[in-house]
Amino acid sequence: MAQGLEFIHYQDGECIFQEGDTTQEMYVVQSGEVVIRKENRGEPLTLAVLRRGEFVGEMSLLESLPRSAHAYARGPTKLLRIQAGGFLLKIRRDPTFAFELLQALSRRIRTKNEQLIAALSQGNLSEAKKILENEA
Amino acid sequence: MITRIATDRLAIVSDLHLGNPFSDVRAKTVAFVDWVSREGFDLCINGDGFEVTQLSFSRVSRDVPDVLRALKMAMQRGTKVYYVVGNHDIVFEHFLNDWGGFKLAPFLNVESGSRRYRVEHGHLYDPFFVSSPRLYDFCTWMGGFLLKVHPRFYRLWIRFERLRSRLRAERERGIIGEHPNFLAAASELEARGFDGVVFGHTHHGGRVELPGGGWYLNPGSFMLSSNFVKIVEGRLELSSFGGKHG
Repeated sequence: MAQGLEFIHYQDGECIFQEGDTTQEMYVVQSGEVVIRKENRGEPLTLAVLRRGEFVGEMSLLESLPRSAHAYARGPTKLLRIQAGGFLLKIRRDPTFAFELLQALSRRIRTKNEQLIAALSQGNLSEAKKILENEA
Repeated sequence: MITRIATDRLAIVSDLHLGNPFSDVRAKTVAFVDWVSREGFDLCINGDGFEVTQLSFSRVSRDVPDVLRALKMAMQRGTKVYYVVGNHDIVFEHFLNDWGGFKLAPFLNVESGSRRYRVEHGHLYDPFFVSSPRLYDFCTWMGGFLLKVHPRFYRLWIRFERLRSRLRAERERGIIGEHPNFLAAASELEARGFDGVVFGHTHHGGRVELPGGGWYLNPGSFMLSSNFVKIVEGRLELSSFGGKHG
């Protein structure tokens, strides 16, 4: 395995990272599933379930900001961990990785925009605020 | 631009180079497309389906219309045709997109059953193409003149690559004739959650097991053999087209 890359195994329910953590690796789901959750006024909210080939934690790697949500393994899960130093090397060796990462980010922005527009057009300001807060 | 598809039956062929002096695959391609369509497969042309750099106008006018007609008939029967852009046909991208019917892609992530496969032309992993694209293009263009002298020069080049591969110390487990970069790239992709990887580009066919238990397959060039890759209900196989019987 190239520098800055390694496989990590998680058991069902095991925490990968928590909201507020300052770790900066990102992950690619090699097998299994990762559940992304956030506390919203004391209520756990599942933001996403990520499956094979999908990216986890890339926002912290790209922006060096604390984790914005919790991530847990669902079932036995194997992740490819990419550290900041290995990220550019990974792009060099696997250029479509960057393409797919951009696709994922574009998809998320578009989905959030659509949700926000739908909430605002219905005059649902509390829903719009929830959508924006979940982005923070 | 699509990159993700789900299918139970997909046939993948690459490097037809229609329009190249060496390419004499018109009849075989028309028969193959017809067979693929009647057998209920979707079709993926995994790059370099059409030739630009080593173009022969007489070959283009002779071969391309018949193949496009066969593809159109297949699409009218409901066959989905995916076209992954290669390095010889990249300038045709807009034309292929606008011609209608083809679903153009830079690569495909294929979901079949519970399996996930990457289909990509592979030129991005060619060290010569990546490090010196202009020189690569120039050498390819110069090679076109040799092919016009006698198309059989190309077979000499393929034999030379295979010999070099056998002599190369770092060949290890790769497909004979290929640079080790292609196996390394397939391994990188496997690590991102693919059960198998299909490349074209090198014109060398074969299959190699990857470190995680997946497979790297290359059908080779349709000019040199009748091999293709098929994905059937999650299974990835190298197969051979035998004319009207498939």
